[in-house]
Amino acid sequence: MEILIKNGIVYDPINGINGEKMDIAVKNGKIVEKVNESTALHIDASEMIVMPGGVDIHSHIAGGKVNSGRLLRPEDHFKDYEPKTSITRSGVGYSIPSTFTTGYRYAKMGYTTVMEPAMPPLEAKHTHEEFNDIPIIDKAAYPLIGDWWFVLEYLREGKIEECARYVAWMIISTKGYAIKIVNPGGLETWGFGRNVASLDDQVPHFCITPREILRGLCKVNKLLNLPHTIHVHTNNLGIPGNYITALDTMKCIEDLADEGKPAIHITHCQFSAFKGDDWRTFRSGAEEIAHYVNAHTHLTMDMGQVIFTDTTTMTADGPFQFNLYQLTGNKWTNHDVETETCSGIVPFRYRRKSFVHAVQWSIGLELALLIKNPWKIFMTTDHPNGGPFTAYPKIIAWLMSTKAREATMKKINRKARNRSLLPSIDRELSFYEIAIVTRAGQAKALGLSNKGHLGIGADADIAIYNINPETSDPSKDYRTIRKAFEQATYTIKGGKIVVKNGEIVKQVKGVTMWLDIHTSEPVKISEDMKRRFKEYWTVEYENYPVTEHYLENSYPIKVKASV
Amino acid sequence: MPVVKAVTCPVCGSLCDDIELTVENNNIVKVKNGCAMCESKFLGYNSEHRVLRPLIRKNGKLIETSFEEAIRNAAKILTEANYPILYGWSSTSCEAIRVGLELAEEVGGVIDNTAVVCHGPSLLSVQEVGIPSCTLGQIRHRADLIIYWGSNPWSAHPRHIERYTTYAEGRFEKSAWKGYLNKIKALLAKKKIESSIRRLFLKKKPTVHESISKEPPETLSRKGRKFIVVDVRKTKTAEMADYFIQVEPNKDYELLQALRALVRDEEIDVDKVAGVPIECLEEVVDVMVNCSFGALFFGLGLTMSKGKLRNIDTALSLIKDLNMRTKFVLMPMRGHFNVTGANTVFTWQTGYPYAVDFSLGYPRYNPGETTVVDILLRRESDAALVIASDPVANFPTKTVEHLVKNPLIVIDPHMNVTSHMADVVIPSAFVGIEAEGTAYRMDHVPLPLKKIVEPPNGIHSDEEILRRILAEVRKIKNKNEEEA
Amino acid sequence: MITLYPLKEFKHPIIAESINPEFFQGKSIQEIGSLKIWEGNKERKLRELFKIEEDKADNPTITIHGNIGKVRKIGKKMEKGEITIYGNVGMHLGEEMKGGKITVHGNADSWVGSMMKGGTIEIHGDAGDYLGAPYRGSNEGMHGGKIIVHGNVRSEAGAHMRKGIIKIYGNASQFAGFRMRGGTIYIQKDAEERVGACMSDGKIVICGFLKSVLPTFTIEGIKKKVKIEEDEKAVGPFYLFRGDLTEKGEGKLYVSKEKNPHLSYYEKFL
Repeated sequence: MEILIKNGIVYDPINGINGEKMDIAVKNGKIVEKVNESTALHIDASEMIVMPGGVDIHSHIAGGKVNSGRLLRPEDHFKDYEPKTSITRSGVGYSIPSTFTTGYRYAKMGYTTVMEPAMPPLEAKHTHEEFNDIPIIDKAAYPLIGDWWFVLEYLREGKIEECARYVAWMIISTKGYAIKIVNPGGLETWGFGRNVASLDDQVPHFCITPREILRGLCKVNKLLNLPHTIHVHTNNLGIPGNYITALDTMKCIEDLADEGKPAIHITHCQFSAFKGDDWRTFRSGAEEIAHYVNAHTHLTMDMGQVIFTDTTTMTADGPFQFNLYQLTGNKWTNHDVETETCSGIVPFRYRRKSFVHAVQWSIGLELALLIKNPWKIFMTTDHPNGGPFTAYPKIIAWLMSTKAREATMKKINRKARNRSLLPSIDRELSFYEIAIVTRAGQAKALGLSNKGHLGIGADADIAIYNINPETSDPSKDYRTIRKAFEQATYTIKGGKIVVKNGEIVKQVKGVTMWLDIHTSEPVKISEDMKRRFKEYWTVEYENYPVTEHYLENSYPIKVKASV
Repeated sequence: MPVVKAVTCPVCGSLCDDIELTVENNNIVKVKNGCAMCESKFLGYNSEHRVLRPLIRKNGKLIETSFEEAIRNAAKILTEANYPILYGWSSTSCEAIRVGLELAEEVGGVIDNTAVVCHGPSLLSVQEVGIPSCTLGQIRHRADLIIYWGSNPWSAHPRHIERYTTYAEGRFEKSAWKGYLNKIKALLAKKKIESSIRRLFLKKKPTVHESISKEPPETLSRKGRKFIVVDVRKTKTAEMADYFIQVEPNKDYELLQALRALVRDEEIDVDKVAGVPIECLEEVVDVMVNCSFGALFFGLGLTMSKGKLRNIDTALSLIKDLNMRTKFVLMPMRGHFNVTGANTVFTWQTGYPYAVDFSLGYPRYNPGETTVVDILLRRESDAALVIASDPVANFPTKTVEHLVKNPLIVIDPHMNVTSHMADVVIPSAFVGIEAEGTAYRMDHVPLPLKKIVEPPNGIHSDEEILRRILAEVRKIKNKNEEEA
Repeated sequence: MITLYPLKEFKHPIIAESINPEFFQGKSIQEIGSLKIWEGNKERKLRELFKIEEDKADNPTITIHGNIGKVRKIGKKMEKGEITIYGNVGMHLGEEMKGGKITVHGNADSWVGSMMKGGTIEIHGDAGDYLGAPYRGSNEGMHGGKIIVHGNVRSEAGAHMRKGIIKIYGNASQFAGFRMRGGTIYIQKDAEERVGACMSDGKIVICGFLKSVLPTFTIEGIKKKVKIEEDEKAVGPFYLFRGDLTEKGEGKLYVSKEKNPHLSYYEKFL
């Protein structure tokens, strides 16, 4: 089918298009130069914003942990449900929506690509099975590799190339997309109920430090020529004073980066930007972090913005989740995965009147506003950790309008308000910058060359929002802006209209992207390796990999490694 | 003869995946590495109880029919029903369950899996308290204290202990198998001495104390892996344990709460709880608090004894409390090989692990209200589809009466008791033997089920059968809409 | 005033959130008859399942005559007015109720007054499990209001209760007051074991027999009488236990001394 989007006001930062009125032509699922005007379906987008489909670099939408979260919270679902229609399947929300609902709700906001950032390799099949049931959007997952015994052992022995080959094997075996590192060293340490406290703590039994893991995997990432950088959830997450750890983490790989090219992505940075000695002296460390980020080019990050709502926190950071459980006394799920990783889940309510929560809310926005270059920090809530992804339009309003920020500020904890840096910041993001932090920047950081832009040959993933940037002032009409981003007028996925006026009109299947890494010398699966496998895991080698059977819509991306 | 390696065994929740099968002329002739249950499944699945043709009831009798006719009948029954139930699911593949959920949604029925009669209460308490757990390998590598509570793996999960817990070799903890052998040797030696004493003095009963007494034995204070069993009777597993605590029937709740109080250093007014002296409990709590990684497995002895979900509630709370002092995990001993998978697929599609009611067009969940057993007890359903399960043989009589009174569809490889009462019987292939798929181990590790041999002619997989019924249901509904 | 008569013996579950005085008020009998109601998986109109009669008196009152044991969620989120039922009623009666009054001259099924915040529910017969308890997975129990049951109740009455009062004039099955955090549960007759399990605060009064107290409760004293409500006291003497020690342990459990001589064992600790 051919589509011609007429007279839209286009924001396409990757191609430098900033609010130009132009037509976009779509054919066979791609953006093309032109289509047959008389036969193509016309969409009148005059006085509307046209952007590439949204890209989410970090959102927990599928897999063992997410599903344990769903299981844990019937009370989260029973008031937020979606009945079946003639087009869509039924489901539930709220903070951890069921698979179908996840796809629909993203699509309704104009998002078309979402990355699941924490896939335990042993349970990777589960993540992929859920992907098959998440409609419309394209997906990919990052396997958790930072505390995998193979990595710890090869890095300890200094065998970087060997390590790289095994990491490549792991990414292919799990059909993964990037190297995810969570609380490096801390997860293995959590195996016996403890944690590491700094980049230079020894991981018990393994004679390696978080610093060595980070540096090692950063080198591996480079050797493998992966499209994304290492994706890092820092040590000491959620602990006052941890901004120093975050800075140490960024600094520790400074020398490994190529000129001007990012080598690390610090995810949900808000949770790693805490200053103070304890919760009473708790403050924002956003200024220090922004100062560093503004002076360096070797990193990208995402916000991990907090929303005042009832949500469900879930990370692979077992010890962090345990701390949160001790802090709140809420229900708590923990799930350690042999030789690889762990995870935890705690329901959590962010309250406006809580000093700590209000400061956290402020930190996320401070980071996004103080870091000058929007290509370096992207909009996320670390769904569902800071709040559900359905709150993105709220964050867009906060980023675009000081008035929106002030309105919320009035309602938050007084002490937090007094300490917040926000009143001193008058920056308001433009639509162009919003397009960067919600799609272009994320696609670029992920190395997804067909996503996040509307250039010729790009995937025809397009969002159209009913806002006229020429007449509306987002600074004042932030409510209108929010509403418009909540319900895309059109979402086009792979050249097909899937959403019209905020409603699903067509169900399509998105693809699952994964890296098909070609090393010059692949990992040899010797009998010795199989024996070692048996020693490390409780499943057979043959049953470990995710076969193509588990990817209903497989989209391999070829990568040629330097090893 | 071809040997198929790394086969996943479709019997119990341990889901051992190291089975080796020798296949000859589309027949499995030899099983290696499996337990007795595994062997009898792979060698005996193709028994005389197999049905090879679809059946429908006409004039009160089940007669053979075509596959298409059976599918049409099944679809008609489900489409016409006002409150159908779709039950079973724990012994089929996740792929089939996915389709089953879609079918339940399409016909506005209640879909429920066998968790309702086994670990349903465990899931309910997890929803209230959470669950500190892990994969089985984590326990194999690290646990220096293993407790089985109300569970007898020796007979229900025969390879659980050797593969995953006490007698498995881990990175940080060694197998306690040698210790067990020594114990057996000592026991045999003692028996020899006893019999010679008997012979010498012609005494009827020698006065040698029992190896497992009320007092905690020395084995609890030695180094290495420790093994405790709590149960109402001395099972085979209990005989192997370093320490056996015999709990009074239906007093698990009190015992667990008392342990919790002791872990929290609270004083207890009474001298005995559930028949166990407080001193013994104090010893056990010492062992728990001082271990470096403890694991508690629980079975139906805990979930189905008086207190049900609250027994699990307090067990979960105990483990949470213990995590303030050391590392501790717990895990339900799931029975059917894919009951965990059923819960998992149910949850990702609907948000809820079992007892999902689609009658209002969206998933609703409230065990006690939307559970199949309760619906049948209240006589609310008007049709049923049963897959890979035999409720007529297992459910309470009153529920069975209502189940068989209404139209009943059965999808199963065997002619089981429920099939005999059915109106439509659709024979299916054995998943994991004649059809491939996926199952989830009790610790949520997904494993592939292999197709080893071809199914008999004309026999389809559960997944295929359900797809056909779903397509037929949609056809009927479209036709009805057009007519309206 | 509206009176409803079920037109038949219901077989399937009926979800009847629309039977609520507020939804009826200001509507003609025609409009009321068109309100949505679910029978199994079919959406129906109220008039298809009930005969509807209107009384001159213009007060927000609904009376139902007949056995409606399958009809669920009557009076959901009700804020004012009155519902009177002559017959047995189904589950979730008065779910999330905020005000008004529901009276049942018959038995009520489980989850009566689930997550209730205010108002009064009075059951003249027996009530099922989970009286006033929250939805699965939630710890937001009863936040206020009053439930009176003249007959017996099954297990977990008042689970997760925070505020308000539950009065049971009959017996209560196990786990009454489970994880209770506040409010009062009064049981005039016998209670099954495990009463007050995991309670962290609040008050439970048992005037009848209690076979045993959980080991995680500790004796605190003997009280002559105990306050139930404003100007209502239960006369003892009562053993006063404090627990549950595995939680915060601020809960108070009063058990009749006279009816429970076997508990005299505890007196040695006083």
